[in-house]
Amino acid sequence: MSILSVTFLLFVAGLLIVYYLVPKKIQWCVLLAASMLFYCLGGWRSVGFVIGTALVSWACALGIQKKADAQKAYLKEHKADLDKAQKDAYKTQMKRSRRRLLMLCLVFCVALLAFFKYTRFLLAQFGAESSAFGIWADDAIRLLLPLGISFYTFQTVGYVVDVYWGKVKAERNPLKVLLFTSFFPQITQGPISTWSDLACQLFAEHRLDYTNYVRGAERMIWGFFKKMVVANIVAGYVKDVFTNYPQYAGLTALAGAFYYSVQIYADFSGYMDIVCGLCQMLGIRLTENFDRPYFSKSVAEYWRRWHSSLGAWFKTYIYYPIAVSRWNQRLGKWAKQRLGKAFGDYLPATLALVLVWFTTGLWHGASWAYIAWGGVNGLFIIVSMWMERPFAKVKNLLHINESAWLWRAFQVLRTFILVTFIKVLPEVGTLRQGLGLWKRIFTEHTIPASLGRLLPFATDHAAFFAAAFGIVLMFAVSLLQRKGSVRELLERRVPYVLRLLLFAVLFFLIVYFGVPASGGIGGFLYAQF
Amino acid sequence: MDELLELLNDINPDVDYETEDQLIDGKVLDSFSIITLISNISDTFDIELGPQYLVPENFNSAKAMWAMIQHIREEDE
Repeated sequence: MSILSVTFLLFVAGLLIVYYLVPKKIQWCVLLAASMLFYCLGGWRSVGFVIGTALVSWACALGIQKKADAQKAYLKEHKADLDKAQKDAYKTQMKRSRRRLLMLCLVFCVALLAFFKYTRFLLAQFGAESSAFGIWADDAIRLLLPLGISFYTFQTVGYVVDVYWGKVKAERNPLKVLLFTSFFPQITQGPISTWSDLACQLFAEHRLDYTNYVRGAERMIWGFFKKMVVANIVAGYVKDVFTNYPQYAGLTALAGAFYYSVQIYADFSGYMDIVCGLCQMLGIRLTENFDRPYFSKSVAEYWRRWHSSLGAWFKTYIYYPIAVSRWNQRLGKWAKQRLGKAFGDYLPATLALVLVWFTTGLWHGASWAYIAWGGVNGLFIIVSMWMERPFAKVKNLLHINESAWLWRAFQVLRTFILVTFIKVLPEVGTLRQGLGLWKRIFTEHTIPASLGRLLPFATDHAAFFAAAFGIVLMFAVSLLQRKGSVRELLERRVPYVLRLLLFAVLFFLIVYFGVPASGGIGGFLYAQF
Repeated sequence: MDELLELLNDINPDVDYETEDQLIDGKVLDSFSIITLISNISDTFDIELGPQYLVPENFNSAKAMWAMIQHIREEDE
C-alpha cells in the first residue's frame, strides 16, 4: 500500500478510530494488527520473513538474557565459595554461550538480507547472471525482496546486540518483538530505532491528546507537500537529465545534480514528516532522522544530520566495536611506537571508518556505484580527520575567524556542493554513467542562450513555479527551525484562521500539482534501499 | 581520579574537566578523541572497556567516566 494513496489515508483514519476506542492495555495489539495488515497489503509473500526475523531475534535475545541472569544468580550464590580465577573461568564460559546465541541471530538475519539483496550482484561478478540459475536469481529474488528488509534487519540486530551488551532486558512476549520489528510507519524507510527509544512508547497507554493530534496532522500535510509537490515534480527533471545528460550543456547537467539534492531531501524528509506526524497522532515520538542536513559545515557533520538513525546504528554497532576492539587498539599502539603519535591515534578510527563506509555503500545498494559512493564519503571524512591539525595551523596562519558568518556560510556552501556531487554518483545508473555526468559538468562549457535551454525539462511552467515555491518554503522553514519547532512558532505568532489558511493552501497545492506529478512517479527513493 | 584527569588533559588541555559536564553533548570530545581516550583508560586502569559503555552519559564528564571505571572494576571482581 502506497502511503501516497487514498487507501492509506482511509487505513490511517480507521486505525486512529480503533486505537483510541479500544481499552488502552491492548492499543499495542491494534498497532500489531495494523502493521501485519499493512505488510500483507504490500506483498503477503514476504510476511514470513519479517515474522521469522522477529521470532529468531526474540528467541536469541531471551536465551542471552536467561544466561546472563543465571550467571548473576550463580555468582551471587557462590560468592564466598569461588576464588577470582574460578569466577573468571565461569564468566568466560557463560560469555561464550551468550556469544553463540548472538552469532546465531546475526548469521540468520544478515544471511537473509545478503541473500535477497546481494545474490544477483555477486552472481553478476562471476558472470553467472545470464545462466539458468542467473535468470532465477534475477527474477525471483528481485520479486521476492521482502519489504523493508534492510531497515527491520538492522533494527532487530540492534535489539539483540543491546540485550547481549546488557543495555536492555529481553522481551518475553514474542508478539511485542514482532511489533517492534514490523511497526508499519517505519518499516519501509526507517527510522531505525533502538529498543530503548521505541519499545516503551509502543507498549505504553496513550490518551487522545488534542495538541498532538493537530500538530501530527499538520506535520503530515507538510510531509505530503514536500513529497508530492516538490520531490515528485523535481523527479521528472532529474530523470530527464540523468537520461539525456550527454546531449545537454554542462550547466544543465549541474542543474540536474542540484535538483537531485532537492528531490532526495524532499522525498526522504517528506516521508519522515508523514510518518512522524502519524506517530505523533498516535502519541508515539519516532526517532528523528533529519536535522537540517544541508546546513552542515563538513561531510562528517552532514552524515550526523542526514538519516541520522542509520548513522547512529553504524556508529554504535560497527564503528565503536571495531575501533575499540583489542586487535585494533594493539595495532594503534604498534603504529604509535613506530610511526608517531598522530598515526597511532588515528589508525584504529580510520580502519573502523573504512569498514563503516564500505558497508554503508553496500547497504544502500548492491552495485559498484554504491560502493564507490561509500568510498568517496569515507575518503572525505578520513582525510578531514587526518588533516584537522594541519588545517588548523593554516587557518591560524591566515587569521581565519571560524565563528565569522562569512566563513560559516562558505563551509555550508562548500559542503552542500560536495555532497551534491557525491550523491549523484550512484543515482545516474551505473558507476560509468555517474562519472559521465561529473565529466559533462566539468568539460562542457556552453552557456545556454535562454532559461528554456538551461532548463529544457521544465516544460510545465505552473508546476515549475509550484516546485520553486516549495523549495523556497522548505529553505525558509529550515532557517526558522534553528530556533525550534515551526509548528509551535506558528501557534504562538499566527492567528488560528491564518494557520488554517496556510495549511489549506498547502492542501490545494498537493491536490492541484502533487497528485498529477505523483501519477507517473514510483514510490519513495529510500524504499529501494 | 587524578590519573583520569591526566589522560583527559593529554587529549585537550584547554578544558576544565573538574566542572565540564557536556564533553560529548557539547562536542568538546569527538568520536576520534573518544577512541584514543578508551585505549588510554583501558591501559591505565587495566579494564576491558567494551562498546556497550560507549554512550554519551558515560563520557559527558570526568565524574561520569570515573563512575563507569568503578562500575567496570566492580563487575570484574
